[in-house]
Formats: sequence, C-alpha cells, structure tokens
Amino acid sequence: MMSESPGMDLPESRRPWRFARGLRTAAVCCLALLPSPAVAAGQSPQEPQQAAAATHDQHDQAEAAQYPNLRIAGFGDVNFSATSKPEGPRGFTLGQFVLHMTSALSPRVTFFGEISLTARGDAGTGSPAATGFNTEVERMIVRFDRNDQLKVSFGRYHTPINWWNTHFHHGHWLQTTIARPEMTQFGGRFIPVHFVGGLVEGSVPAGGMNLNYQAGIGNGRAAVISRGGDAGDSNGNRAVLANVFARPDRPYGLQVGGSVYADTVTLANSREFAERIVAAHAVWQKEEPEFITEFAAVRHRETGGSSATWSRAFYAQVAYRLPWQERLWKPYYRFEHVGIDEADAVFQTVQPLDMSTFGIRYDLSQFAAAKGEYRTWTRGNGVERNHGAFFQVCFTF
Amino acid sequence: MRRSLLLRIAAALVAIRLIAGPAIGLASGQADTGPIAVVVHPDVPVDNLTLAELRRILLGDREFWPSGVRVTLLIRAPVARERDAALKQVCQMTEAQFRQHWIGKVFRAETPSGPKIVYSAEMAVEQVNRIPGAIAFVDAALAAKGLKVVKIDGRSPGQAGYALRSPGAK
Repeated sequence: MMSESPGMDLPESRRPWRFARGLRTAAVCCLALLPSPAVAAGQSPQEPQQAAAATHDQHDQAEAAQYPNLRIAGFGDVNFSATSKPEGPRGFTLGQFVLHMTSALSPRVTFFGEISLTARGDAGTGSPAATGFNTEVERMIVRFDRNDQLKVSFGRYHTPINWWNTHFHHGHWLQTTIARPEMTQFGGRFIPVHFVGGLVEGSVPAGGMNLNYQAGIGNGRAAVISRGGDAGDSNGNRAVLANVFARPDRPYGLQVGGSVYADTVTLANSREFAERIVAAHAVWQKEEPEFITEFAAVRHRETGGSSATWSRAFYAQVAYRLPWQERLWKPYYRFEHVGIDEADAVFQTVQPLDMSTFGIRYDLSQFAAAKGEYRTWTRGNGVERNHGAFFQVCFTF
Repeated sequence: MRRSLLLRIAAALVAIRLIAGPAIGLASGQADTGPIAVVVHPDVPVDNLTLAELRRILLGDREFWPSGVRVTLLIRAPVARERDAALKQVCQMTEAQFRQHWIGKVFRAETPSGPKIVYSAEMAVEQVNRIPGAIAFVDAALAAKGLKVVKIDGRSPGQAGYALRSPGAK
C-alpha cells in the first residue's frame, strides 16, 4: 500500500503547494540537464586535463562530424482471428506498422522516436472520409546521459510503471505472445499507457543488486482516460511516478521491481478523481523457462468524496524455449485477471476479465516469427465464456 | 606414375599445412584453442572487471567507465570464436537471443546504438586503440602486442580459472 499525503485530495484551488513542488522538480531537472562545457563537448566532467589530449580531440572531431546521425528500424505484424462470439476484429487484420528512429545528437544527447500506423475500422466513412490508417506519435524522447547514475529526458513515453509497457512497446516480434496483457493494452484504460513530461533515471551497482530508478513528472490522463495529455494536462495537477527495480548479478536473469503513480483525473463530465496506482513485477528473462508476472492496483477517490474504490489486475506468463529443432519452438501459457470495482466511476467502461492463453511461437528467422494461440475468456460473473483462435506473423526490420 | 604424383601432391599439402598452418592461423587471429582476452583503449581507467561487470557491458546495462567516458563495445561478426565465447560464456545467450536483446535495448530507448561490429581481429585491435572508451574481445596472442588487457575476476588470459576460453578448448 502506498502512503497518502494529506491534502492530496483537496480541491485544486487549495493546493498552491503542488504548483511550487512542480516548479522545484522542473528546476532540479533543468539544473541536472545543463551540461558543463566539457560535457557538452562529449567529455566527462571527471576526466582529468589530459582528456583534452590530442588523440581525444582528433577522435571527438571525427565523431562530431557524425552528428546528428539517424537509424531507422521497424516492426510489423499480420493477424488472423476467429472467435466463437464476435468480439474485436475478425478474419485477417493488419497489425501496427511501427517505425522507430534513433538519432545521436552528440555523444551524450540522443533522440528516440516511435511512430505507429494503425488500420481504422471506420476507414472511408464520415465527411471528409476517414483515412485508412491512424498515424500516432507513440514516443518522442530527447535524453541527456550524464553517466550511468543520471540520465534526464523529456518527451512522450510509455509510462514506466508497468514492465510489459516499457519492455516490448509496440514491437510484437519482441514479445512471446500475440497480444499484450489486457491490463496494459494500447487504447486500454486500466493503467495510463502514455506519459508526457520529464523523467530522471539511472542505475547503481549496489553490491551486485544493480538497482535502477526512474522518477517522473508530467501530464496524466486526458479527459478520455485511455489517452495521455499530449496537448496539455486536463487539470492543474501533474502526475508523478517513481519506479525502482533490481537486476541482480545472481541469479542472473531475474528482475524484480515496483512502482507508484499519483495523479488527478478530470473526466469529460468535469468530475475529478484522485488516482493512485501501485504496481509490482517479477521477471525471469531467460527462455528456459521464461516467467513474467505483474500486478497493479488502481485506487480512485472523487474529490470531496469520502469513499475510495480499488480495482486490481494481474497476469502470469510462463514459456519455454524447446531445445530441439534448432530451438525454434517456444510454447507458452498466460493467465490474466482484471477485476473492476463496480462503484469505480472512472472505470465504468472497463470490463472485467479472466483469460487463459495457450500458444506456441515459431521463429521463422532471426527477425521474423509466427505465433498461434487458443484463448478462452469471460468478462464477469454470468457472462458467457468466449473462445478464439488467433494467428500472427510478426517481424522486425 | 599417376599414383606417385598423387602421393607427392598429398605430401606437399600436408607439409604446407604443417609448416605454414599455425602461422597463417595466428596471423589472421584464428588460433582456435587459445584464451580470449578482453582489451580496452589505453585511457580506460580499469584493470580488472568481474564477470558480472563484463556481462553488464556486453548487454549494454553499463554504458560509462568510471572516468565518465562512454563505453564503445566492439564485437566480432557472427561465427567468430571471440564472439561465440563472449555470448556463451559471459552472457549465456545464443546468437538469436543476443540479437533480440540488443534490438529490444535500442527499441526501448535505453541506449542510442548497439555494439559496433568488427570484421577481423586486426580491425578490433586497430579500433580499440583508436576509440576512447572502446572494449573488445581478441585472441590472447594478439593482445600481447601492446594492448591494454583487462583481468577478469583477477585472472589474466591463460591463468587457471580464467573465464574466457575458446569455445572448442578443453
């Protein structure tokens, strides 16, 4: 459970300290970001004077000629689905076509961008006619790396309070399964998938524990809560988050961590809610076996209200890379649960879920894979169970 | 007469292989049983790395040396035994897993670029001496030629218990 600060749920007009806190945080971020002349030139502030020796200067000059550089990569997927009861798209569907750009602006300043093109179900309708694909800036980040312990960035992120959300992003080829867990679906509402603001992050060895931290301030959910506040926050309260995780040297392959997120959500009908999210994850990243589990609990309390609601979601996924046939086959299973408090006004349109997924992944090459899945799920007590078969070919380029 | 000619050719080939083989192998950095040395740019202020630290560098989890200079990881192209040793013995990964790890690493915006590929041992030696912050894996016999060799867990290449052996070595 996260501790609550007094005054968090007070009306906006009674919270001038929050503005001051935001200013202080922004000032700290800017001070950290300001490079010394040496750093701006690509040198470390700790480097002794001999760092300006001729060999380094020559190399820096040669390197400087390489900036800015640009690398483009991408992901794509094609899907097929058949369900016993209609739910979601049927037949063949084009998945997201994702372009990822990386550009080093100097040895310590880097730009990352991610753009997705998603097929629209309403293509050709309306006036003017809707286009066939939606273009979305998924991530746009400019980051300054001071060292391993301190990196400061600004932009649009996948909110770093959920491991899946920040580990696979829109790259379906990277993930074992066809789909993301429901709790972190793009366009979903359970957790805020996108975050616009600033982030401070880093890692310290900590005696082999390899502790990593991320702390951020930014716009929270928009009035349509599945969207981030790209064009500004929907209220005067910034969202804040903190994420800590460890990747110990032993056992190698393990990652465990937890995060907290706090924001005020203003709905389209002007109702205002304090939102608190606590989340945790444990991941065994080796493929023999692979194990991923995450939990998140979301608390909503209306401004001026006395009662709060808790909605919870979790999933557990296990997979195993079979040693035969050149290790190309990887069967997997995932169970996921989304439990929504019926009194939760913010999640009125979020459906509960209990789902089991059985599947297998076959690597067609080192950069393409085919996946087949059987899913069975139900959306709440008394709702008839649904079943479906799903198939995907995904790739990176 | 034909048989005699064939015998002579075979004998000549064996002789050439015996005389020139080892030298050719060493010259191209292809001695296939010697230890693999971890070498760094002369200005890198590190003399020893633990195997876990080396793994973090190979996987891009550690991006800076203590002096603040960015690590530039140089690694041989696939199939080279230096790469094979690094992936299997340090990262405990297959080639496919290593590639996927780095594609994901760059895609997650955790690092601006993946390792730099070097296509020969000579290129690795030349680059590691030229690029500040560079680290590379080379045949220990080549590393003896004036390169800064980093110990792994306090052991030098060739010492008992040294972590990086050629994949085929016993």
